[in-house]
Amino acid sequence: MADQANFERDAMPLAPQLYGAAVRLTRNPADAEDLVQETFLKAYRAYATFEEGTNLKAWLYRILTNTFINNYRRDTRRPQETDLGELEDLYLFRRLARETSPTSSGSAEDQLLEGLVEEDIKQAIESLPENFRMVVLLADLEGFSYKEIADILDIPIGTVMSRLHRGRKALQVALWDFATKRGLVGEGDRPR
Amino acid sequence: MSTCDDALHEVYSYLDQEVNWYRSFLIRRHLKGCPPCVQAYKFEQRLRIVVKERLHEEVPPEFMDRLRQAIQNGP
Repeated sequence: MADQANFERDAMPLAPQLYGAAVRLTRNPADAEDLVQETFLKAYRAYATFEEGTNLKAWLYRILTNTFINNYRRDTRRPQETDLGELEDLYLFRRLARETSPTSSGSAEDQLLEGLVEEDIKQAIESLPENFRMVVLLADLEGFSYKEIADILDIPIGTVMSRLHRGRKALQVALWDFATKRGLVGEGDRPR
Repeated sequence: MSTCDDALHEVYSYLDQEVNWYRSFLIRRHLKGCPPCVQAYKFEQRLRIVVKERLHEEVPPEFMDRLRQAIQNGP
């Protein structure tokens, strides 16, 4: 049992991190503030049920994602788990390799990775269907394990893996589009 | 682990540290002798770092104050 008196000391330092995830989930800073505030008030009220010494960060993310799903999700698309399945793995890497000459592929990688700006990456993440976006954020932004993500979202590990796999592919496709718009890849790199 | 296909198939689980020690050993052994696979692994690893770094969101200090207030006032 955790003591409510310690809530501020233990939980508040995690607020900035949860805020970052909340902005990407809600796609809007005002909603993100509301979502985080609601999460923290719920967590504070329920803090006595939190078992001290277990994973506080995962517990808070569980409340955050639940609250998001119940109150904020606007996206009624329910992507089939099979969507995007036909896209190749390592989409960006392979596409880049195909469209640049072998001798310049190293510098083409640098150009792509250095050229994508914050706004591109944020928009690419936000373009993912919510079910995919949640697992990609939990894994790639927060560094949770498959097991932790399964517990946070209350879904089987197999579902975590399949959503993560498809979500990352979709992210890479979106990043390729931004890279193309910015002229980071494509025509200029073709061997003349 | 004999083929590049096997090694590349596991790139995400490997970077997620979700393969067991034996698979991890086989992957590392394959990578030692396979520069093209190393290039693919390095690219995915760099991409992941780039994505994480550039998703950073600064929390507004006023919001942190409001949040603290909301908790102190109690539900």
